[in-house]
Amino acid sequence: MSTIEVMIGNQAIALGLVEAGIDLAAAYPGTPSSEILPAVIDFKRRKQSHIHIEWSVNERVAMEVAFGAALAGKKAVCMMKQVGLNVAFPPLIRGRMKALKGALVIVSCDDPGPQSSQTEQDSRLIGTLFNVPVFDVSSPADARLLAAHALAYSAEMHLPVILRSTHRVSHAREAISLDPPAPASPALDEGLKVSKGTRLGIVASGMSCNVALDVMAELGLDDGMSLYKVAQVFPLSPEVFAFVRGMEQVLVLEETDEVLEALLSGEGRIFGRGSGAVPRQGELTYDVMRAIMQEVARGLGLGARLFSPDRTIEDAVSTVSFPRRPPKLCAGCPHRASFYSMKQAFPKAVFPGDIGCYTLGTSQGAVDTCVDMGGSIGLAAGFADAFGQDGSSPPILASLGDSTFFHAALPLLYDAAHKGKEFILVIMDNGTTAMTGMQPTPQSGARAEGKSEYAIPIEQVVKGLGIGFVRTLDPYDIPGMIRSVREAGADLRERGRGPAVIVARHPCLLFAKTGKNADAPFPDLTATCDGCKKCVKFFGCPAFFFDESEGHVKQDKALCVNCALCQFVCPQKGKGKGRPAKPKQRRPQ
Amino acid sequence: MKWEIVCTGIGGRGVLLASAVLIEAATASGYHAMASDELGMSQRGGSVVSMVKVGEFDSPFVGRERADVILSFEESEFYRNLVFLKPGGLAIVNSRKPALPAAIKAVLDARKAVCHLVDTDGIAARGGSMQASNMAMLGFFSHFALGPYTFENIVGAVSRKVAAKLLDMNRAVCGAGRDEAQQRSMKTEAAL
Repeated sequence: MSTIEVMIGNQAIALGLVEAGIDLAAAYPGTPSSEILPAVIDFKRRKQSHIHIEWSVNERVAMEVAFGAALAGKKAVCMMKQVGLNVAFPPLIRGRMKALKGALVIVSCDDPGPQSSQTEQDSRLIGTLFNVPVFDVSSPADARLLAAHALAYSAEMHLPVILRSTHRVSHAREAISLDPPAPASPALDEGLKVSKGTRLGIVASGMSCNVALDVMAELGLDDGMSLYKVAQVFPLSPEVFAFVRGMEQVLVLEETDEVLEALLSGEGRIFGRGSGAVPRQGELTYDVMRAIMQEVARGLGLGARLFSPDRTIEDAVSTVSFPRRPPKLCAGCPHRASFYSMKQAFPKAVFPGDIGCYTLGTSQGAVDTCVDMGGSIGLAAGFADAFGQDGSSPPILASLGDSTFFHAALPLLYDAAHKGKEFILVIMDNGTTAMTGMQPTPQSGARAEGKSEYAIPIEQVVKGLGIGFVRTLDPYDIPGMIRSVREAGADLRERGRGPAVIVARHPCLLFAKTGKNADAPFPDLTATCDGCKKCVKFFGCPAFFFDESEGHVKQDKALCVNCALCQFVCPQKGKGKGRPAKPKQRRPQ
Repeated sequence: MKWEIVCTGIGGRGVLLASAVLIEAATASGYHAMASDELGMSQRGGSVVSMVKVGEFDSPFVGRERADVILSFEESEFYRNLVFLKPGGLAIVNSRKPALPAAIKAVLDARKAVCHLVDTDGIAARGGSMQASNMAMLGFFSHFALGPYTFENIVGAVSRKVAAKLLDMNRAVCGAGRDEAQQRSMKTEAAL
């Protein structure tokens, strides 16, 4: 085995934690944190460590399991994305005051931008507000060492600590030397990185620090400037305050909230997100960073090679037409068939949506809201009450996935069942947590390390709540699906109480690795196309697009999986009402 | 020496494997290398960008007009990411078209950048699988022998990243990509 390995930041975090001797790891997947736990499994196997590892049903469970272990004297870690930290708030807020016998590292991965989250949120701010020590990683190599440092710090101080990453570190790749392993308690990589004067001091943490260093090199910006890298954001070391006091002006570069800036305020003149020198929100990309630093340097009269963008590039590109590629469900995705059927059954319904791949149902007009995990059910209940109060009753069609169902839906669903809230819930059960990389769900009966376990069928849970209408079917059967949604609506009216539940079950194609159905014929849409665009508007499969110049639809054979669901949608084929569904099953090989 | 490379394409077509090969080849040659990937929310078919920086850099971020090279595995994504290409940069684009749109050609000429349109899908399909289009691209790129990116280094990195049963086919497609570049340069020299 090579002693140098290229790995992503999340693998490096896992490596640091396993090298530092963790006893337990628990996580709920969420971009950009999802790859950490699988990497812990991998390094556990390679290093033959003795670690208990599990995917938890949500972040609160992950944190409490890890907390229990830490109280009992183990070195424990839990991982989540930034909005997952909100779900784990109760144990965090009370638990921060407990003296641990062992150690607890809470890895929280932020999503500046956001690229794959409902909100930007800064985990450093949560830690700082509630007196939880926070470490901020700046690169994969740094992350490996800082993870080990954080664990040692937690053990020494008997306190839970937060290790904060961002997607730019979690998903960056860098070569890491495995031999020798990291020391048990690596020194903190913090302090002066540039020391060329006191006109402007830059204080930066995380990836922002590394981007700033690259921009300074490009612009030749070092005359009169110094840069201080912060790795431990909270509590800040006295040296950071001393650095700031020694500078005439201070620029703070950080993602995503004004945490360092707020901690340092009062120590002199500070520019940052709060002052307006740095945009209040969004990612500090290279270009954003270059613009900020150029502007601040110019304001202070510091020498720099100025960069001015050549806008003739955009002018030229604007003359070319090419597909926009908004995020889409995969070709053959069962969710697309469910959304199509829901919209066909009740075109004027209100559609509370949820968090997962199926948030992308917005493009089919079948997702109106996306708030938080399980939020579809809570909002549906609220809508039902509000409309009922006003005497109107439009159909309400909520949707959420199987993993989200187990993560957050249960209190909301039994509350709705108890009160008879009238709405239809479509549980889109594709057998896995697809968007984050196919992690198991309680229904799949698989454990993190592959062992099979007691499986909890969704229908049993729903029926156990006394819900009257519960139907399971394959959404590939589009006519059956449309009919079932309408029957669920009729059931609500007859009974005068809800909710009604449909379990739309068809495995995620990527999870089942069914890929292209080579036995089935290629479903041609082009031969009879009269340019009505219904397939593009209501179905929107990535395997076809509308060619405006030629006035008809075109297909991409490479992306098409031959599911033929589009044939139900084309008025020329199935008269738009859906032909009988006979999706051919691929024979097991 | 330092190089900044932007790999771009759509999900499921091997952009990330190509960038993994680039970072692996640079690392094996003793360079520091980092990459940053943007995948978006689509599991398949969405825009994918992987930025690779080789040499003494602290971050894996490429700024606009900074990339020495753009490798575009899908033509549309080349236009979307053209702002990254520096004056005098090199672009290789997977396309069956004989020529770029006039406006794009004009702006590239004005900025002294070079763009090669190569049917890497076709080269890969002839070599056994269209899925190996990324290998044809890497093979074509190896012709320019930029820094650590000689054919031998790229094939060496491919051998460490690709499953054994697919290795021969991937190597062959990579070689076919390089041959395509060599034939073109011979034709250009003959014309001169």
